Amino acid sequence: MTTTNTHDPSSLDRIRDAVVGQSNSRRALLLMAPLIAFELLVFVIPFFILLRISVASGSADLPYEPGTWSLDAYSSVIENILSFDLFWSILVYSFVLGGAVTIVTVGIALFYAYAIWRSNGLVKSLLLFSVILPLLTTLVIRTYAFTPLLSPTGTVNDILLSLNLLSEPIQFVPGTVGAGIGQLYIVLPYAVLAIYSVMATIDWDIVEAARDLGASRPRSVVEVVVPQVMPGVIVATVISFAWSVGSYAAPGLLSDNYTFAIYIERLLLTDQRYPTAAAFSVIMLVLMLISTGALFAILNRFGGDFDLA
Amino acid sequence: MTSTLHRETVENRVFRASYLALLVFMLLPLFVVVVTSFSQAGRLAFPPESYSLVWYGEFFESTRWLRAFTNSIIIGVGTALLASFLGVTGAFGQELDTDDSLGAILQPLVLIPLLIPPVVLGITLLMYFSEVGLRGSYASIILAHTLWATPLVYFVMRSVFSRFDWQQLDAAHDLGAGPVRSFVHVVLPNVKHGILVGALLAFIISLQEFVMALFLSTPSTTTIPVLAWTQIRQALDPMVSVVSTFLILISIGAIVLAAIATNLEWLSKQLS
Repeated sequence: MTTTNTHDPSSLDRIRDAVVGQSNSRRALLLMAPLIAFELLVFVIPFFILLRISVASGSADLPYEPGTWSLDAYSSVIENILSFDLFWSILVYSFVLGGAVTIVTVGIALFYAYAIWRSNGLVKSLLLFSVILPLLTTLVIRTYAFTPLLSPTGTVNDILLSLNLLSEPIQFVPGTVGAGIGQLYIVLPYAVLAIYSVMATIDWDIVEAARDLGASRPRSVVEVVVPQVMPGVIVATVISFAWSVGSYAAPGLLSDNYTFAIYIERLLLTDQRYPTAAAFSVIMLVLMLISTGALFAILNRFGGDFDLA
Repeated sequence: MTSTLHRETVENRVFRASYLALLVFMLLPLFVVVVTSFSQAGRLAFPPESYSLVWYGEFFESTRWLRAFTNSIIIGVGTALLASFLGVTGAFGQELDTDDSLGAILQPLVLIPLLIPPVVLGITLLMYFSEVGLRGSYASIILAHTLWATPLVYFVMRSVFSRFDWQQLDAAHDLGAGPVRSFVHVVLPNVKHGILVGALLAFIISLQEFVMALFLSTPSTTTIPVLAWTQIRQALDPMVSVVSTFLILISIGAIVLAAIATNLEWLSKQLS
């Protein structure tokens, strides 16, 4: 190869240019191929199978009847929802829990990210550490630790009772309050990091300028810092909402209520009703997609209105 | 003047008290887990009435837990390897790509699995793996975890590659290095700490993920979080705290390793 090259350098250059120019995009394609193949095989195709099973008919002895086409699963789920039956209450509970957790999470995350941003030295490291450490722990364990804390005989009730703030213990766990706190604890670290990563790029002088111009401190934060971290707030909101509406571990361990995730598991593993489980999943995914899109649009507008830059 | 000063100190105090309260909230559950692992009683209570290492002894005698531990490590390593390979090649390919049409599809496609409730992903993959006959294998859980770990590796690598000076690669090509050689000698030394951080992230994600694993595992492939979940629902004994303490330690170890790796990189740059 090298000998031919030295004989005819000009043709070599042409070949080399052609090879490099062409092969760059071919090589890029070749490099991306495994990832694309993986996403197709493990994500896209499975979803088509989920869709396919959602339009198959149920069967008495099999999870579903292969090769059949039927909209029974959809019509039964939608009918159930429209008559405010079990599926409706599960749907509402999932969205109310998810919405409430999202609002509280984003509020706290904004404050905590601000505290990290404004602190320095050891306090800053400690605050960051407190966000990252829970991320490294499995959510089963993060959630389970709330049981001895929040149960009627737990630590929090003991303290409140001994301070005479309560006359009888409150049952946080099992209950919706406990599930909400557990879920908040699961998503809060992600929300804080999403907001902090944007906040860290803001110039503090802008806030200082607002204060020099007479803005009070809370006002300078709300009107100067918040609009600038809107991209982080949007990410935090979308993540918290998607994960909390679909929450499974926290409500499963800390409450007796059904979220849709828990109910789908039941439909699938206990009742073996694959088409119904698939149809309910598809419906919930569509509803989540719509509500996340709406949230996104609202927050984007809010961010735009306040944009100072 | 005095009133504004007074207001500022009050504000400061409220501010500090609030974030310290949140700090306690963030660390308290983990603290509870570690402390209760040293409890002597069979019932989970915080604070425990008496302390001992009984449950640590139980752990090392329990074949179920040790088995789950091995499973978790196998699946974690598998996920780390697969996710790093996919994430690194994908991000590198996208960096080389001259037109962005494929990348415009790839990026959201890689990201979307993160936003789908894990239960839905779990049942979807359960149905799929039953169809293709992978159900009950390590591979099924590794593939599922890779679906979640890949986006992180991919985005870490994209940011690492975006800081890489691509003229160096062109220079290597001009000097006659082939694509593999130029990658190994020119690109790799610059991005290897990024790859390590990505792989460790993938490992940690796999180590903690449990919803998908719950659907996909069988008694012989049960991972630690799944076994913890089934145990917790039967009885609240401190064994889960012991296991959790080990998991926390492993994760901290992984982070320290990543920090040392990136720092050594920094150190070697300072010295050379």
